[in-house]
Amino acid sequence: MSEPGAGGGFSLFDAEERTLADAHHLLGRMQGGEAASLADVQILADAYSRSVREQRRLVKVSDRLQNQMALLNQELERRRAEAEEALERLRQAQETLVQTEKLASLGALVGGVAHEINTPVGIALSCASHLADATASIRTLFEADDIGIDDFQRYMDTAADTAKLIVANCERAADLIGSFKQVAVDRTSSERRSFRLFDTITETVTSLKPNLRQGGHRIDISCPPELELDGYPGAVSQILTNFVMNSLTHGYDPGQHGRLSITAQVDSDDMVRLVYADDGKGIAEEHRTRIFDPFFTTRRGSGGSGLGLHIVFNLVTGPLGGQVQLESAGQDGGTGFVLSFPRIAPEKGGD
Amino acid sequence: MENLTIAASERSPEVNFDVAAGVLQIKGESYPEDASSVFGPIFTALQDYLAQADGNGLKVDFELIYFNSSSAKALMNMFQMLENAKGTDIVVNWQFMADDETMKEFGEDFSEDLSHVTFNLVAVS
Repeated sequence: MSEPGAGGGFSLFDAEERTLADAHHLLGRMQGGEAASLADVQILADAYSRSVREQRRLVKVSDRLQNQMALLNQELERRRAEAEEALERLRQAQETLVQTEKLASLGALVGGVAHEINTPVGIALSCASHLADATASIRTLFEADDIGIDDFQRYMDTAADTAKLIVANCERAADLIGSFKQVAVDRTSSERRSFRLFDTITETVTSLKPNLRQGGHRIDISCPPELELDGYPGAVSQILTNFVMNSLTHGYDPGQHGRLSITAQVDSDDMVRLVYADDGKGIAEEHRTRIFDPFFTTRRGSGGSGLGLHIVFNLVTGPLGGQVQLESAGQDGGTGFVLSFPRIAPEKGGD
Repeated sequence: MENLTIAASERSPEVNFDVAAGVLQIKGESYPEDASSVFGPIFTALQDYLAQADGNGLKVDFELIYFNSSSAKALMNMFQMLENAKGTDIVVNWQFMADDETMKEFGEDFSEDLSHVTFNLVAVS
């Protein structure tokens, strides 16, 4: 037994087997000796033999358990990896949806632009057409040499009036295009620049005019005109658009005329406080904690994506580096949001 | 005799026996289906080395993270073999992660039956 490694490691219980064999030989040598001692040694040898069997059994059982545990751990790891992968796919899908929603709201903005520009262009067009008619008439009279002072007087009045209207409406259209261009560029580029908050608010509200006018809603803006921010006007515009569209979608029954307000000011510590409010139905108590969650909507059936306020939350806490809170409803009901963000946006805020 | 090199598998440890240097390294995890097939070649190589050591020493480095019960039995047999090789200076370095109390206790337990072999507990982090 004491000889180094005799028999090699091919049986784990090599040493025990050899001890058992030794015991067997010892018992053989003791045959015919003292019976009591022989019986005692026999008992010891039997006990050792059982003990070795027990050891073998324990090792086997314990190996099997450890094996099962290893397999379970592998399975656990595999499931965890699967779950993580699924979560990652979900995140990507959500990101895609958010981008889609942003583009969709840009589409709505373009629709609003088209509608808004249609009015001055339409007026200019009918004025021009009226002027053309009047010019043709006066030309006929002139060529027939049948023109009177009154006719000419009337024509000149018409020409002056229509020209004035054409110029005014074309200027209006040009202004609208200019401001929409800025809003559209800001929305799509998400580039950082210095901007006047008041201008961004009014341009955004102008782009929403068709929607507001349809329901007879009013919107009050209160913001220092010279207040200049350094950051992301596109994000501000997107946030305001989502607020307004939410109010119009959820806040009012048909025929109800809403009164919305946007109020902005700067605190002493260079933080912009922007408050948006409407006087609509408000948000139900049980929904208040969930409104910023992605995909939370009360209008799933009628086309709500549930991303509007989630995008607001992301824009305020991301690029703007601030916070947004739902105001507790005032006495006259309605919904209010309070945004607080630094006048100069933090670095690397853009997405 | 030749060096012994066995790559690690999912359930068995990496083995390197540099005969010229007299250094045997066993590292990794050990919970094979059949412990004797994993440890058999190591035992044979050790026997051969100890039989012809001729005054050369032996250093055995263990870096085990995990082993099952039959591997533990095989390790006990291996330590018994080392303890019985009286003619050779043998040093065992039992490495364990500093925060792995169990692996440290296994090392202490193995070292109890050893008097001829120098057994070092080496905490690593």
